[in-house]
Formats: sequence, C-alpha cells, structure tokens
Amino acid sequence: MKLNKGQKLKLYTNLVRCRKLDEMMRRALLSGKLPGHWTSPKGQEAVGVGASTFLRKDDYIFCSHRGHGITTFIPKGLSPGVFIAEHYSKATGGACGMAYFSVYDIDIGIPGIGTALGGDFVIAAGLGIGSKMEGKGKVVVCIQGDGTYGRGTFHEAALMAANWKLPIVWGVENNQYLISTHISEYYPKENMADLAFGYGIPGIVVDGQDVFAVCEAFQTAVERARVGQGASLIECKTYRIEPMCIGMADIRGTKVRSREEIEPWLKRDPIDLCRERLVKENILTQTDIERIDSEAQKEMEEAERFADESPPPDPQILKRALYTE
Amino acid sequence: MREIRGLEAMQEALREEMSRDEKVFILGECVRMGSLGISAGLADKFGNNRVLDTNISECAIAGSCLGAALAGYRPIGDILCSDFFYIVADEMCNKAAKWRFRHGGKPKKLPIVYMSSIGGYVRSDAEHSQTLESIIMHCPGLKLVIPSTPYDAKGLLKTAIRDDNPVVYLYHKLLMPMKGKVPEEEYTIPFGVADIKREGKDVTVVATGYMVQMALDVANQLQEKGVSIEVIDPRTLEPLDIDTIVDSVRKTRRVVIVDEDTLRCGVTAEIAVQIMEKAFDELDAPIQRVAAANCPIPAGWFLEQYVLPYPKDIIVAIQRVLGRDVGPVEVKGPTSSLVELLEVGGIMKEKGK
Repeated sequence: MKLNKGQKLKLYTNLVRCRKLDEMMRRALLSGKLPGHWTSPKGQEAVGVGASTFLRKDDYIFCSHRGHGITTFIPKGLSPGVFIAEHYSKATGGACGMAYFSVYDIDIGIPGIGTALGGDFVIAAGLGIGSKMEGKGKVVVCIQGDGTYGRGTFHEAALMAANWKLPIVWGVENNQYLISTHISEYYPKENMADLAFGYGIPGIVVDGQDVFAVCEAFQTAVERARVGQGASLIECKTYRIEPMCIGMADIRGTKVRSREEIEPWLKRDPIDLCRERLVKENILTQTDIERIDSEAQKEMEEAERFADESPPPDPQILKRALYTE
Repeated sequence: MREIRGLEAMQEALREEMSRDEKVFILGECVRMGSLGISAGLADKFGNNRVLDTNISECAIAGSCLGAALAGYRPIGDILCSDFFYIVADEMCNKAAKWRFRHGGKPKKLPIVYMSSIGGYVRSDAEHSQTLESIIMHCPGLKLVIPSTPYDAKGLLKTAIRDDNPVVYLYHKLLMPMKGKVPEEEYTIPFGVADIKREGKDVTVVATGYMVQMALDVANQLQEKGVSIEVIDPRTLEPLDIDTIVDSVRKTRRVVIVDEDTLRCGVTAEIAVQIMEKAFDELDAPIQRVAAANCPIPAGWFLEQYVLPYPKDIIVAIQRVLGRDVGPVEVKGPTSSLVELLEVGGIMKEKGK
C-alpha cells in the first residue's frame, strides 16, 4: 500500500489525538478524578494508529493493554467521550460504566477486551471463523503486548488460524517490558516475528516508531487476509517510556530503570518522527500542526465534558446485564 | 412411543437444530467422527465447514466459540469431558460467562453451547471421570443443563442451542446407551423447570444426571418395603427450580440430595442450604447428602466403588432421614466399561448416517 497525502495526514492526526487523550487521562489520574489506574501508551502510539486507521468499519480489532486500547480504538472510530465516560463509570461509557477499561461496540468492530491477558487470541480466532464463514471479507486484527505472547492461548489460536487460513493479523506491540521484566529475560531470540515460522505464516518485523511503516505492513497483511490467503504476524518494535502504570515504581528486574536506557527512545517519539517527515515532504505546514493540535485538544476537552455531564449507570443494570432474556 | 438411546436423542437434536438454523455449527476434537458418537454423521449432512475438527486445543475451542458468537454465529463447542473445564476455565468462566455483563449488557446475544460428558463408572480415571457441575454453577453467567433421560437429553439440547446465552450442557457417559421414550414430533424443554420423575410421599430424593436413574432404581426397590420415594430431577441447575424441590419437601418433610460431583462444596450443599433457607421448619430430619468422596476418582474399578455414589449409599441416607432401618435391599450398581460405551457409539455412528 502506497500512502497518499491525505492518508499520511490522517495518521498524523490520529497520533496527536491519542496523545492528547493520554495526557487528559494522565491529568485526570493525577488530580484524583480517575479512580483507577492508567497504563500510558506514550511513545507507542504508532503501533495501534498504524494498524487500525485504515481498517474497514466491519473489521474487528483487539488491542494491547497500553492505554486500554485508545491507540487502536480511537482510530477505529470510538468516540473519546465514550472511552472517558467508561473510565468515569458513567452510563454513556463503552460498557455502560460497568468495566472501567473495557469498551464494546461491535458495529465499529470493537468486540470488547478480555483483561486476564492472552484470552483475546482465541476469541479473535472465533471471530476469524465467523468472518470466513460469512464470506464478506472481514479481517480480525489482534494486537497484544510482547509479554502476552507468552500465553499458550496464542499457540492454540495461531495454529487454528493457520490450519483454516483464517483472516487474522497477529500484531506484537513489543515494548520490551512485561511489567518489570525485560524481554531479554523472557524471549530467547532477537525477533518475536520468528514465532510465525512454526505456523507457516509470514512473520514481519517493523519499526514500531514509524507509523507509516506500521500502517503499510498491516495493510499488506490485512489485504492478504481479506482475499483468503490467511494469517500473518507483525512485530512492531517499540519501547515503554512510562512505568507499567502511572505512579508505579519504574523497575527493570530488581533495580530502577536507567535514564540512559530511556533517553534514545525519547528521541524517537513517533509523533515527532511523523511530523518531521511530513514537514520535509511539504505535506504539513506549521499552521497545520497548530490547527491539528488545537482541534485534538478541543475534541478531548469536549469528550471529558461529555463524560463529566453523563449520569452514573442505573444499578438495575447488574440484574439486566448478565443474561439476554 | 418409540424408544431410542440417549446418544441417538442427542444426535437427533444436533441434526434438527443444524437443519433449522444455518448459523449453528460445531467444533471440537474429531467431531466429524464423533469421539463419543454424538456428532457422528453431521459432517456428511452439513459439510466440513459446519463440523470442524480442531487440534487438541481446548482453549481455542472454548474461546473461539465466544468469538464466533460475537460474529453472529451459534457455535457448539465439544469439550469432550467436563474434567477439561479446568483447562478452559478462562475461556468459559472468565470470558464467555462474563463478556456480556462486563460490557454492560451491550452484546445483544452470546449463543454458545459447551457440551461435555460427565461421570465415572467407566474406569476412565481421575481426569476423565469427574462431574464438574459445582464450578459451573458457582460461576454467574453460565446456564447449566444436566439431562438424565433420552427425552430430556433431546429437548434440553434443542433449548440450549436456541438460547441466546452461554449454556453448559453436561451428559453422563451412561446416558448414551440408556433407552427411553422419545417422541418423533418436535419438542423442546424449558430451562428452570424441575421434573418430578417419580411421585412419592415419604422421602424426597433430589438427584442430577445419572444419579436420577440410580435414585429411581432405589425407589422402586424401597416401594416393596413400603417406603414411598419422590424423585426430583432439577434438569437445569442454573436456572434452578428450587420451588418444585421445596414443594416436595413440604409434602415429605424429609430430603436426600444425590449428586456425582465431589461432596465438599458440591451442588448438594447449595441445594441443601437453599432448602434450609426456604423450608427449615418443614423438615423432620436433617438433610442427607450423597456424593462422590472428597478424593480424586481412581480408575481401578475396585477402588472406584469406594469413591463414587452407589445405590447402597442412597439407601443409607434414606434410612437416616427416616430414622429407621428398612431391612435388606439389593440394588445393582452401574456396570459398564468405556469400550462398551464406544461400541454403542459405533453402532450409532452407522445409524447416524
């Protein structure tokens, strides 16, 4: 896929929107307004944004735990207000205020998320079975963190998808950390994309800071899946700038993570990289940059207002939500 | 009315429901052959796209059922033995059971059937003989169905497939060869309606699955001793028709609960407490429970009989609630082997075509 000017601008805009939402959530947490936790996706936005911005509305997507899915869900069409409202336990939230950080909107391809990590692989396989049976070219994109690929469920799902040529793209958002353990201690090789070898599917490594590279890799795999050629696995190399959760100790192994390790990645911020390239290509002017920034800022402020003004859920939902009548 | 085996009844239910709704499909290990015979013949009729042989991947079977349901299909996941529920606990109990609730009731429907065999008495050892009802009953969000006769097996399976929620359907291995009256005409059995399998006035025996048959055998023998036993089969444990059970207890004032799951924290305990909560004052004797001993099930037949419930255990419990000895009673326990069952399955496979 060759990205045109408009598509590049859209990717940039989505990166900025996700960053603004991340900043808003972080402020809400630190001010005591957000009563739970926040797993900032800062510095990893290019993975979700690149993978999901140009999916079809009826394609399905699963996200990694970073940012509770904002980098995949916002580009897929989820309203930031619905996302924030869920975190504020409001009736208008993506799970009616029930889930804190899961959202569901099957009409835009968001089937929900499982929070015991690694459960989504096999659910994705089932959506793949459904998509294949239906024959309408729907594709399932399942992005999970590198740590989550330690679950045996990946093997079962990948085997099923490979055997039946299911329309699935497995994405590894490799931020090199599993809470406080570095990947060098839980993966024996250089590239997790090598996992694909055993399933006879393409395994691709891509620079997870480069939104255009991520987008092109996913679009190629998605189109391949769409026409019945089966699954692929894409590993996006990125880095977790922040601790596991905002406010949590920033540990590697048993020691505080060094600034020397983090610094080089701060210089490869995906938004900076994208902006620099678009300016160089004369696609983005200073005026555009400011406009996109202020529009995203305004969008998130309005979204937060929507969440603030929404009512809490009716406790009767506890009785209604379990079973369909 | 014609008599058919439990296995045939379940085969018919699958065939009829797959004919009725093309969104219904089945997946599992060797479902085209039908490892225990139930899905035999379906692939010939409905094709390989709706009868999917999987790897030995229980998590993928159970989890993909949820995905397929989210995509608008009505999957039936064949989890061969309920013992494997421990393998798929995340997919069934964390995911399928809670998905709708966790997402605020937004998923309109999640029609999934998890089918599993239960029960011992066929020397299948500790990992293929359990009756894991209690862990499912404990988990909100899963309906739980346990037929005890070919008639119930068919009617309840059809209802399970038509239900828009995740349903766990457990059939006892000894139900497969069991013969019973099943009409040729279409019928379904609603969930949450207990069945009084035998009317009586002295003692209420609440039993599930194969224990219903055992309780009926005991009741027939005790009739000759002048003891009148009422046997109640809840048929579904979620929803549980506690009212029918309590009504019977009000009449007999004595109750024995029989279940093949492990005694400790078992279904018997839940039903007993619910009876206490609703009708303590109606009881003339402490409730008695009969269930598997609090230890794993040995495969050796000689030892198995010391762990699983047998008719003599039910008789002892009945004597306790009656407060008297009824004299010598002979009731034969189940005798079967897995090979015998598979042979029945083999015959049925031919008929299934």
